[in-house]
Amino acid sequence: MGKRTKQALSVGFFRASAFVLHAGTVMFVPFGGAAMSKKMIVLNHIYKSYGDLKVLDDFNLYINENEFITLLGPSGCGKTTCLRLIGGFEAPDSGTIEFDGKIINGLEPNQREINTCFQKYALFPHLDVFGNIAFGLRLKKIPKEEITQRVEEVLRLVKMEGLGSRTVSTLSGGQQQRVAIARAIVNRPKVLLLDEPLGALDLKLRQEMQYELKEMQKELGITFVYVTHDQEEALTMSDTIVIMNEGKILQIGTPEDIYNEPKNRFVANFIGESNLFEGIMHEDYLVEFCGRSFECVDKGFRKDEPVDVVIRPEDFDFVPPSKGKIVGIVDSLLFKGVHYEINVIVDGREYTIHTTKFRDIGVKVGLSVDPDNIHVMKRSGA
Amino acid sequence: MNRLRRYSLPYLVWMGIFILIPTVVLLILAFSDLSLYRPGTFRLSLANFAIFSLPTTQRAIWNSFRFAGIAAAICFIIGYPVAFYLSKLGIRVRKILISLLIVPLWSNMLLRINAWEKIFTANSIVTDVFGLSISLVGTDAAIVLGMVAMYLPFMVFPIFSVLEKMDPKLVEAARDLGANDVQTFFRVVFPLSGGGVISGFVMTFLPALTTFVLPAYLGLGKYTLIGTLIESKFIKEAADSRALSINQGSLISLFLMILSITAFLLVIRVDKEGETLI
Amino acid sequence: MRKVLRDRLYKGIGLTFLAATLLILYAPILVILVLSVNDSRRGYAWEGFTLKWYSALFTGSALTEPILNTLAVAFTATAVATVLGTIFAIGINALEKKRRVKMVLLNNIPVVNPDIVTAISLMIVFSLLSLTFGFGTVLLAHIFFSMPYVILSILPALRKLDANLYEAGLDLGCSRGQAVTKVILPNIATGIFSGAMMAFTMSIDDFVITYFTSGANYMNVSTWLYSKLRLPQAFTPAAYAYNIIIFAVTIAVIVSSNLVNVRKERLKNEKIG
Repeated sequence: MGKRTKQALSVGFFRASAFVLHAGTVMFVPFGGAAMSKKMIVLNHIYKSYGDLKVLDDFNLYINENEFITLLGPSGCGKTTCLRLIGGFEAPDSGTIEFDGKIINGLEPNQREINTCFQKYALFPHLDVFGNIAFGLRLKKIPKEEITQRVEEVLRLVKMEGLGSRTVSTLSGGQQQRVAIARAIVNRPKVLLLDEPLGALDLKLRQEMQYELKEMQKELGITFVYVTHDQEEALTMSDTIVIMNEGKILQIGTPEDIYNEPKNRFVANFIGESNLFEGIMHEDYLVEFCGRSFECVDKGFRKDEPVDVVIRPEDFDFVPPSKGKIVGIVDSLLFKGVHYEINVIVDGREYTIHTTKFRDIGVKVGLSVDPDNIHVMKRSGA
Repeated sequence: MNRLRRYSLPYLVWMGIFILIPTVVLLILAFSDLSLYRPGTFRLSLANFAIFSLPTTQRAIWNSFRFAGIAAAICFIIGYPVAFYLSKLGIRVRKILISLLIVPLWSNMLLRINAWEKIFTANSIVTDVFGLSISLVGTDAAIVLGMVAMYLPFMVFPIFSVLEKMDPKLVEAARDLGANDVQTFFRVVFPLSGGGVISGFVMTFLPALTTFVLPAYLGLGKYTLIGTLIESKFIKEAADSRALSINQGSLISLFLMILSITAFLLVIRVDKEGETLI
Repeated sequence: MRKVLRDRLYKGIGLTFLAATLLILYAPILVILVLSVNDSRRGYAWEGFTLKWYSALFTGSALTEPILNTLAVAFTATAVATVLGTIFAIGINALEKKRRVKMVLLNNIPVVNPDIVTAISLMIVFSLLSLTFGFGTVLLAHIFFSMPYVILSILPALRKLDANLYEAGLDLGCSRGQAVTKVILPNIATGIFSGAMMAFTMSIDDFVITYFTSGANYMNVSTWLYSKLRLPQAFTPAAYAYNIIIFAVTIAVIVSSNLVNVRKERLKNEKIG
């Protein structure tokens, strides 16, 4: 399934009612007519360092009830640390963490109504599947019949019915994954933390699990806080994506917002593929890059402000060279199944195009792009 | 790679000679009146079992199991917390401390037992230099404590080795699911360290069971343990060929062998990777 | 915070038990140290400080021959056990799983058997073969019981090795022998070294097995001690001195190897940082 198709599916799939939060300020921008949900988790001015390394730097975030929110970013950006702070496995150097209105900084993991699904599952090897899942329930001294009933209910939910007496070592990776999820949700937590849970699975299985996790979240009505470095995964499952880098939040929004309107070069590069140009915003709706001026749909910049321009590879179209504003020669051609990836050299610069139209190497082509698809962003530092 | 296999063959032969043959011989000796040094008569019989009816033998067996059992238990009570504590320390400190625990084992066992004998004797050199005057030589306590002093590290190492390898995420998972410290320990950590505990018991109990130097020095020769029995049967009484002592000794040795192989199989079953034997 | 208090409590308990353990383990060593500088042959009471037992070790005493015997056996047995053990370990590692497991089980029998049982077994074999008891039998015995430790030390290192390394060596032009010496051996060097260390340790201090396989005339330090400790006239406290020297040497080796490792780490970090 190509990215574009999945993108289209995702667009149709999700409700567009997320709250957008800019780092340092708190603003509500509800759209799509959805009701305001309560804030389940609030992180206020969190600082966390390991020795000299600053992992989280004045980090502020809130997470709504029943939201599927994903922390997305490269390794080392602080997303896992953020998760561990919420779970209680680490404490912030300063700042507060609120859960359902109360500050929980001092609470141990076993005192928080939050459960975690660990990256490598962390299933107890000395207990069978039933024992693993029932672990949390037994600690709460819940009566035996209720435990059995709840465990079996959740085994059905993760499609592992009848496998309660299996030992952990006899399970496949996908099955272990489901047991890990089951073990967490059987405790009916208000929030479920997931630390890159699908990383060890093969592609097909991953895609299946992504779909299932999303369904589960909607059915259970639990807030999911998901951490991953895989942007496709984030785009597929999330209501809200938080793009992080170097301990700071770069952008928060729905998957489409982030994909279509990245705020800066890093986000544009991280999500989806992009053609990035340095340009100058002459006036509202008019931007110049690569020596040519283009009509676009952005405004609000100063006169002649230096900007970054991003155009997605799938937004370029081929036109006869005589009719195109941008003209160049095809330099390379790769068949990717759903589309061709064609690199065109224009004035020494490389443009990457995704198209189903075939153009051979060495052929002169013209490129055109709709003004909607030219996205202008504030210029990032070098 | 397969051509390298042949190099294991000589070892098979070597082990066969030094393990199989003696076992067979022991069997023959135990169940007959064959003499090792002067092959004369050879009659299969169960006569050698008579030795187990002697009260000295029975007391020796009882004492050995009693002392070794108590010593192993004490080693466990002291050793588990030490292993646990060590597994939590930073890696540099850990290595140093483990080395510190190993080094005394390189001192000669007899001299160490001799030293303990002096410690347990009232008005010995220990009194002169350290002002300590304990009178324990020749008592049960001396033997048990001596065993603990000799074999404690062998309880610590297997348990430590297992605890060190445990996935720390399992503890986090337990806390995530609501367990406090005590619950986490008894429901997750301890069960998972079971293999190490069993290995530790085996490595402490068996040597304690079969030592003969320890009771000789710390028991002032008043105690006969299994080891003492075997020593006397094979070395001291062997000169008199009428007494069938070697045959009797062989029988006792056979029982020890069965015991240790059983313990070995037990350890294998709980420790799949064979890590805790060293 | 209650958690902090709890953590301190656990730490305190752990530290106490550790201290108790170290005390138990080092008390006898302390006593031996005292005895080694005590001016008395019997060691019943303190009779003044002296270093004569240390010098006696070097100028000659009843202990000299047993010490030389011990060292001779230890070094030879270690060398032989290490070489043979490496070869056998490589052979065992190449076996298919079932046979390999059986071989490892066989290998572990001398390790698990109480030494008195092993000693008796060896004594019986030597008697049957009508061997004269002495250096030869002791050496054989020591080789026998050290090899399993060498193999146990090398096998895990072999298993960790990529199975394709040997074939990669052949592919690049090694003969079979070269593939072993140039590819396999360097990668298991630590395993071989620690195996050799274990063999040496087991041998240098052995009592029970030597006792049963040495006959009347050959003595290593331990058997000499056993016969002489109860006879104050024949005994010499040089034995204590010997022990302390060994102890000091081993501590020095450990400290220096740790320091070497610390320096290596520091150099590595400097290069990266």
